Amino acid sequence: MNTKHTIPSDEDLTAFIDGELTAEEAARIEAIVNEDESTAERLEFLARASLPFKQAFAPLLAEAPRQKLETMLAAIPAEPSTKSNATAAFAGRRRFLGALAASLVAGIAIDRAVIGIGRSFSAKDENSEWRAVVADYISLYTPETLAGPVPERDVQAAQLAGLDEKLGLSLSPEAVSLPGIDFKRALMLQYDGKPLAQVAYLDPETGPMALCIVKSDAGRKAPDLESRKGLNVIYWSNETHAFMLIGRIPADRMKELGEDVRRRLSA
Amino acid sequence: MSVARTHFPAYSRARMESPVHPAVSRDAGLAEAAIASEADIRSGLTENLARLWRYGLVLSHQRDVADDLVQATCLRALERADQFIPGTRLDRWLFSILHSIWLNEIRSRRVRQGQGFVDAGETLTFDGAHDTETHVMAGQVLKQVNALPEAQRTVIFLAYVEGLSYREVAGILDIPIGTVMSRLAAARAKLSGAGSEGGRQ
Repeated sequence: MNTKHTIPSDEDLTAFIDGELTAEEAARIEAIVNEDESTAERLEFLARASLPFKQAFAPLLAEAPRQKLETMLAAIPAEPSTKSNATAAFAGRRRFLGALAASLVAGIAIDRAVIGIGRSFSAKDENSEWRAVVADYISLYTPETLAGPVPERDVQAAQLAGLDEKLGLSLSPEAVSLPGIDFKRALMLQYDGKPLAQVAYLDPETGPMALCIVKSDAGRKAPDLESRKGLNVIYWSNETHAFMLIGRIPADRMKELGEDVRRRLSA
Repeated sequence: MSVARTHFPAYSRARMESPVHPAVSRDAGLAEAAIASEADIRSGLTENLARLWRYGLVLSHQRDVADDLVQATCLRALERADQFIPGTRLDRWLFSILHSIWLNEIRSRRVRQGQGFVDAGETLTFDGAHDTETHVMAGQVLKQVNALPEAQRTVIFLAYVEGLSYREVAGILDIPIGTVMSRLAAARAKLSGAGSEGGRQ
């Protein structure tokens, strides 16, 4: 590594963005970035390449000729000839079903490498990082993303029930409804290996919105507003979960909506 | 500190497990262990077929080559089941097998045969029309990554798509961590440059 006053290399900055530096090394880079404009610019330049790689490559998993590969694998004879093939094939199939289910989650996994770097280099703060990732993701949404009819209440309830188990929550369509804004779907995503619940809405005026929830033991925190990627975010947490509501709706309105949802969720 | 040392899980497990096999002859015990580990590799392969295939596609840009790579990886992994160290990540081990087959056998053979490689843009597309949200940016990101030289494309894929640490990427590619870093840095510079030219925000 460099000495204190040398300009960090692209490698150093890349490792910094990727969270691969030790705390001391990261602190040193951060100090230089704060002082030196050209280093700050270079960091932003390199961070611009934090594209949603995971999502982009996810569809290729579905393109794999699974059946053909499965058949090919099953056709490879077991090494010691005394193998009980029937048992292995059965175990294989059960595992395969499990793998299919897992790949559905992986297919929509959020790229943890996407770090909203902006002007605050607080990538170490786990609690703000997930919001940066969500903001990156939601900023790609357009009204077309959420096109289609509003699901019936029982469909909403069923989708929400799918989130409850993974997150240890009990969500009802009433608790997560937003006045005058359409519920569109509830999805299970994944952030850094942890389940992330997303309820997506479409506001007729300002477009897509989302309520996102992760498990968090960081402790209770009162609602706060912030802006990310040109989106307004209200976020808060209780003893067990962290929440965020995000969208292009104006900040005042966002605050009202967030506090309203928070009251109903804690009721 | 002494409080934390009041019990040794490793000891108690050893005591509990050691009487399990005494009635079985030593050879039979070993054979059983080998069989169990081959079955583990087999189910690990089953779980990772799609990820292996995707990596094969990223490397080769050709679907049939990706098929071949997965098949060769399955064969090699099952042959060498005894070399897998239990307790380590099986998917990493499989990736490194696939990579070395690509590097040492498939790629060189194809180059020698003068077949060259098809245009990345052609093969690495997908039918994403049913999924607007993914479709919107996926094509663009795929195109940019696929335009990178193989060495950079590979580290980007392993680090940012598969989410592996620098150390794990270095292990799979059998290169120093410093090389992983310089390839990622060079790839980032290229992607950021391409991004601004393309008029991205």
